[in-house]
Amino acid sequence: MTDLTGAPGAALPAVDRRGLLARLRSDRFFLVGVVIVFLSLFLAAFGPLISPYDPLRSTGEISTPPPPIETWPRLLYETVSGQREAPPHWFGTDQSGLDVFSRVISAPRADMTIALGGALISLVIGTFLGLLAGFYRNWATEFMMRISDVLQSFPVFITAMILVALSGRQTGNLVLALALVYTPIFVRLTRAEVMAQSSRGYVQAALAVGNSRWTIAIKHVLPNSLVPSLVQMSVTVGFAIILTAGLSFVGAGVRPPTPEWGSMISIGAQQLILGEWWPSVFPGVAISLTVLGYAFVGHTIEAEFRET
Amino acid sequence: MSARAPHVAAAGAEEILSVRGLTVAFAGSEGAEHVAVKDFSLTIGAGEFVGVMGEPGCGKSTAAIAMMGLVRPPGRIVSGEVHYLGRDLLAMSDAELDAIRGKDIGLIVQSPRTSLHPMLTVGRQIENVYRAHNRVSRRAAHARAIEMLQLVGINDPERRVKSYPHELSTGMTQRVLIAMAMSSGPKLLIADEPTSGLDVTIQAQFLDQMWEAANRTGSAVLVVTQDLGIVANYCDRVVIMEHGEIVEASAVRDFFAAPAHDYSRRILSLQRESAASVAGAPETERAAAEPLILVEGLSKDFDIRGSKDKVHAADDVSFLIHRGEAIGLVGESGSGKTTVGRCIVRLEEPTRGTVRYRDEMVSDLTQREFTPFRNDMQIVFQDPTDSMNPRWSVEQVLTEPLDLHTTLSAAEKRKRVTTLMRMVGIDPAVREVKPRQLGAGRQQRIAIARALATEPAFIVLDEPTSALSPETRAEIIELLIRLSRELDIAYLFISHDLTTIERVCDRVVVMYLGQVVETGTRAEVFRAPLHPYSRVLLASHLFPDIADRRVDRPERVTLKGEIPSPVSLPEGCYLYGRCPNQVERCRAMPQALEEVSAGRSVRCWRAVAGELPG
Repeated sequence: MTDLTGAPGAALPAVDRRGLLARLRSDRFFLVGVVIVFLSLFLAAFGPLISPYDPLRSTGEISTPPPPIETWPRLLYETVSGQREAPPHWFGTDQSGLDVFSRVISAPRADMTIALGGALISLVIGTFLGLLAGFYRNWATEFMMRISDVLQSFPVFITAMILVALSGRQTGNLVLALALVYTPIFVRLTRAEVMAQSSRGYVQAALAVGNSRWTIAIKHVLPNSLVPSLVQMSVTVGFAIILTAGLSFVGAGVRPPTPEWGSMISIGAQQLILGEWWPSVFPGVAISLTVLGYAFVGHTIEAEFRET
Repeated sequence: MSARAPHVAAAGAEEILSVRGLTVAFAGSEGAEHVAVKDFSLTIGAGEFVGVMGEPGCGKSTAAIAMMGLVRPPGRIVSGEVHYLGRDLLAMSDAELDAIRGKDIGLIVQSPRTSLHPMLTVGRQIENVYRAHNRVSRRAAHARAIEMLQLVGINDPERRVKSYPHELSTGMTQRVLIAMAMSSGPKLLIADEPTSGLDVTIQAQFLDQMWEAANRTGSAVLVVTQDLGIVANYCDRVVIMEHGEIVEASAVRDFFAAPAHDYSRRILSLQRESAASVAGAPETERAAAEPLILVEGLSKDFDIRGSKDKVHAADDVSFLIHRGEAIGLVGESGSGKTTVGRCIVRLEEPTRGTVRYRDEMVSDLTQREFTPFRNDMQIVFQDPTDSMNPRWSVEQVLTEPLDLHTTLSAAEKRKRVTTLMRMVGIDPAVREVKPRQLGAGRQQRIAIARALATEPAFIVLDEPTSALSPETRAEIIELLIRLSRELDIAYLFISHDLTTIERVCDRVVVMYLGQVVETGTRAEVFRAPLHPYSRVLLASHLFPDIADRRVDRPERVTLKGEIPSPVSLPEGCYLYGRCPNQVERCRAMPQALEEVSAGRSVRCWRAVAGELPG
């Protein structure tokens, strides 16, 4: 009896019964997140093509500060109307004379490829292994869980660094290293959810209707076990971006001068002491915003897909 | 009647509680207030047993709790007076109220588990309540706790007083709550659905105790319930609520004789229809029909993790189901009835024994080989919400069995789904909707439609109505009876609710602690039960029949103590120690199921020998 709290629904927060689109449209955090996610993907694809300067070639102007913010509208107008010979250095230039703005918008190609690639691979593999481990409980899957325990017991950063050090700093190796360190998270999440879902009545009902065990796992249990992993996915992309940048920052990631936020911060950090903040702060802000954007989207996914 | 003088004269007896114009409202969204209880007035006299009935959400619990001045936020008591022995409770300070609540007015809530502190022994909790209202030593309070546990029928109270709530069964924790509520000798006991979730024998024991307490000490009882059986068997008066208002308040006999309000008439007529159709139903006309399912020596043991012991859930169960026949499998929780049902449709693998379907020994088949039989042997589960994939629409749920067992085209499947939905009384327009967006009754109809999809010859119905409100329950039962007649389907109807079993089933199998203790036709088992356990079960079941009230019977038979653990079973008769008819020989003598006449068997040597009293 829910009677104690009065009529059902009376004391509960009102449930939003509008359509999914209407709900999403009024969710400001989600909208901000979606814009950032799309921007990061767009820049990963087209960043180097639309950047005003070549992100790899020095402009000759060394350590120029960014123009004052109040002059930006005028500069923008002049650039668009073609009154300037060369586009302004919006974010200044670094000590090698590279245009920071061009590099910041070119960096997603490296960062997003590695972070998204790593996270996606770990999602797919982790979910599959988690489904196996949750549905078939035997020594083999138990052994697999112990291995993932061992993997998880090392700090993610250290593990990734060792892996890269052993295999070399090619992009493919970075992706695989990230995939490996994040897989146990998805295995564990999926396994727990699969185990919870397996005890539900609809699984019994599916068996009674005449499904085979494997069909039940794929058709019934898996779709109902994905939410935690999908939510985790967006968080993981955020972490993966930080990890990619972090590895580059310590010199174990993308090789300079390839534009990459982490290595840009690393290079720019040497100039901070001279008051040249722009080579490192702009890529830093870019990382923060991107991670935040994915987190916003993840939050809404969680709220939408949670079973009511 | 004269023995029950205080009850009959209740209207003129000393007035204990008088409620006038009680109105409770809950703050809703945007400042709107939802009135949950409106102008509720009620007077309860000494020794009276009053029932409050109504559909879920009608405000009956809110009203009962508000009488103690309690309302959960964001609710508030808008207006009204509650006079307890002449003093207005709602005008009192909290300190004054605290002195009355728990001492003069006891409250028993629905969920005993969550109402007890998990980290204190039950004895300590009773002592604390008792000492809060009485200036006594701890030692005296301890003695009182033991006395109270004894009074509510707990075996070995000296030991139980030191138990923590998790060490006790649900039935026992419920009794601990009663002991707590009654420790200070309250003049009024308010019980909010106190027996939902309890087995019938425990429910009867519990209500007997409350009724006796009311009778002996002249205290009053107010019980909130949805169960007509409780009202008919125990209450002197009944109050019917609908949408927060009292729509009828009458003496119980008047209520059953001539209900004044529509809702009352509706629930009573549902009851009457069942009674009438039970009386008029043809008795086992299908006895000559061909055998469909033969269960022989079925046993199921469950391993306990980290232990060599096993739970003996089902033990040597045998029975026969004919084509189109409805068999009722009756028993309390832990009797193994669900396990038997699940073993037949191979959701569990039997440890020993066989199941034959027509000419095929289906228990010998592997799961894969058994799959083609699943279109003939189906199951409907207790909780319809849980039994359907939460992401699927009604159409998907109903199409799945067609995909697996038929070669129909997409259009034919759609047509079949429409037919199925019509068959169970669901508008085919809701096919796109997810089942959980519908009410529990309609969800169960869809679950039944899914079981019917492949035109099975046999369906296991595992407590299909026990999660439903009385009205929806009656509707689902009607549906099941109609379908069985129209489609010639055999049922194994698993239920602890004897009223439902009596309504639906041709023959009845009674189980206790994994064993079949009695089988027979409905008439045989219900009118002349042989086994002592069946007798107690029937005597404890609260039929909504005002002519044979449990409280009017000269002797109210009950089972002593608790059901033994299915891990370490008794050596002789499983009922030994609890049986009202036991003799010394029963202790060490294992009982065999013996046939006493065609299709009628019993597992009790005294019943076979005819030694039991008529």
